[in-house]
Amino acid sequence: MSATGHRVARRLLLGGAQTAAVVLLVFAATEALPGDAAVALAGDQPDPARIEAVRAAMHLDRPPLERLLVWTAGLLHGDLGVSLTSGRPVAAALADGFGPTLLLAVPTVLLLVPAGIGLGVLAARREGGAVDRVVSAVLLSLYAVPEFALGALLVTVFALRLGWFPPTAVGYGTELASHPAALVLPVLALLARPVCSLARLVRAGMLDSLASPYVAQARRCGLSRTRVRYAHALPNALAPAAQQLARTVDWLLCGVVVVEALFVVPGLGTVLMNAVAERDLPTVQGLAVVFGLVTVLLNLGADLVTHRLAPRTEVAA
Amino acid sequence: MTPVHAAAQDPVAVIEGLRVEIGGRLVLDGVGLSLRPGRITALTGGSGSGKTTVGLALLGEYPDGSRVTGTVRVPQGLIGYVPQHPAAVLNPARRIGALLRDIARGRVRHLPRSRRRAAARERVLDALDRVRLPADGRLLRRFPHQLSGGQQQRVALAQVLLLGARVVVADEPTTGQDPLTKRGVVDLLADVARQGIAVLLLSHDTGVVRALADEVVVLRDGRVRDAGPAAASGRAPLGGAGRGDAVLDVRSLVARHGRTPVLDRVSLTVGAGECLAVAGRSGSGKTTLARCLSGLHPRHAGEVRLVGQPLPPGLRDRSRSQVAGVQHVFQDAKAAFDEYRPVADQVARTAVRLRGAAPAVARREALALLSALGLPAEKAARLPAHLSGGELQRAALARAALARPRVLVCDEITSGLDPVARDAVLGLLGGLLRSGRVEALVLITHDLGTAALADRIAVMEDGRVVESGAAGRVLGAPEHAFTRELVVAEETFGVPGD
Repeated sequence: MSATGHRVARRLLLGGAQTAAVVLLVFAATEALPGDAAVALAGDQPDPARIEAVRAAMHLDRPPLERLLVWTAGLLHGDLGVSLTSGRPVAAALADGFGPTLLLAVPTVLLLVPAGIGLGVLAARREGGAVDRVVSAVLLSLYAVPEFALGALLVTVFALRLGWFPPTAVGYGTELASHPAALVLPVLALLARPVCSLARLVRAGMLDSLASPYVAQARRCGLSRTRVRYAHALPNALAPAAQQLARTVDWLLCGVVVVEALFVVPGLGTVLMNAVAERDLPTVQGLAVVFGLVTVLLNLGADLVTHRLAPRTEVAA
Repeated sequence: MTPVHAAAQDPVAVIEGLRVEIGGRLVLDGVGLSLRPGRITALTGGSGSGKTTVGLALLGEYPDGSRVTGTVRVPQGLIGYVPQHPAAVLNPARRIGALLRDIARGRVRHLPRSRRRAAARERVLDALDRVRLPADGRLLRRFPHQLSGGQQQRVALAQVLLLGARVVVADEPTTGQDPLTKRGVVDLLADVARQGIAVLLLSHDTGVVRALADEVVVLRDGRVRDAGPAAASGRAPLGGAGRGDAVLDVRSLVARHGRTPVLDRVSLTVGAGECLAVAGRSGSGKTTLARCLSGLHPRHAGEVRLVGQPLPPGLRDRSRSQVAGVQHVFQDAKAAFDEYRPVADQVARTAVRLRGAAPAVARREALALLSALGLPAEKAARLPAHLSGGELQRAALARAALARPRVLVCDEITSGLDPVARDAVLGLLGGLLRSGRVEALVLITHDLGTAALADRIAVMEDGRVVESGAAGRVLGAPEHAFTRELVVAEETFGVPGD
């Protein structure tokens, strides 16, 4: 009990240290860029006097350490600064983009987990059997298709030919949630590759644990095949899948730029793309911090889940 | 229970003319035996004689790709199986209670739905009680790796009792167990038989077979033979050199697992050229003590001094020479090697990492030491999977000795080995100590026969050293009640090789 508590506390501390490192890295990376926000803002016609004025207005003439402290203090209050192009708080812009991103990510994950685990378990029922070969072949070919190609294909067939779903989310703006039909194709495009990698990991884990002595013993004890498969073999197959799932959710939350662009969904990926195109440094910085935090939190969660699924690892750590 | 005349009963399971061939190799040839209710039939023979294949045939399990002829008649219903390595059949990701509850649920289907849950729980706790495990439910919430080997064996027995099987196959159930646990397992199997269950005992432990079996069938090379194998013997004492200065000095060591205290103010000293055996039953804290010495259990209090210098508790805080100074050899030699690299490479790596030797020099030293320990270069060049348990344990010894340790900590390194391999490893251990390659030896063992070879013995119970002294004195005239109990248990079942 307390050994687990100790481990969790240590992992949380590590998460905190990682967060601090993310903040420092983002600041350092921005500092290392040639020129600064004022130069960037001045655009293609740099006027030295104007750059100086912007610099003073943005406190860019202050020493880096002071700016780091001010920026970090702001972060602690949820203040990510002000966008250079729109003049709006960065936090508000990110909050706007976060809605559509979640609208894509949540249904994707809700479909991904049962589909990935289900297909993996199905394929592992009999290694090398017809079902296994069909499922594995389909998964491998699907995995080989990049999401922009798959997205374009989905649009051509289901939106343009058959007219079942709208081809893009253009025109729905903030009302995206009330037009679920517009989400179907992007969610499918996002789902394709993660389902393949998750199912292949679950299949491999299931094959291992179905061949293990503890599963043989559970069978000898007269348990039903279903009970053995799901209650005794599957938990051992899920530890690597949990790590993979964390990476997928991380990818879904941190800018699926290609799919958002293809279906014109105004999510965080779009915010990122625009901010980079407009050299809006505070927004880029804010996004980097948020993405970094999401990654740290998701990996923290995955590690805790893995610890439950493979409790022996505490001995090694 | 009505007393029955066991001999008059018809057999409940029969094997006739069983022949198993795997890839052209004959594993079993014309094996026959019959199991009667309430009787224990022992099937003995060395490793590789085909015992396990016979046992699994009763369960209807055969190795992949085997051709089987002959008949195996078993009763309707399930057959219980008590495995040699209980750790392998307990699911690492599930708590102990998970499988026990699932088995019990299958046994209470006749009850109304509302009463099933409580009835299943009652059966589980009853089974725990019958194998003398605490039946308060706390154990059910623990994971297999949190139990000692003896407790794991009891959990496997509890599974069999819950099944209500009429036939039980016990595959080397006492191998690697300490004398008291061994006696417990023997009593439990006798209990099982008294309930009218037919038991097939697969064992090469002559003491256990003598104590339990109604009938003995000896198997050799897949055929039934009359003559039993004679246990090899002839062990030399370890160490024996006079006590020099203290190499290892342990003062008031205190350690816990979570909130459970495991070591309680343990103090001991090991002198140069000396072998100290730490004996005690499983769960007494021996392994934790060994892990504290080697820096593998960093959360402990107290002092560990190596030639007068205090050692940091954790391996990561120890300097390279301190790490080299205390080397650890584990019980499971197979798990201690990377399965994808040749054994010789892994052995040589120690000299590079811990002594800064040049790779070529390290390799030469490794090969020389390996061949001195009976592993010629062509054998050592193979992957671990191609070496036997005894050979791997010798390679593990070579790897540890190559660090030129002051203290070599051996944690039950012979308990998984058959008698011949065990004597070979113990002989080599004595050679390492006498030749000065290893300055002092700490031998963790539950086997008093092995402990008797040491210069001194420290006996542990519940995390405390309850008695220590010269080996002859401790075993010949034990002072503490627990030590006396251990010695008596050992005499009842005999040390293998006595």
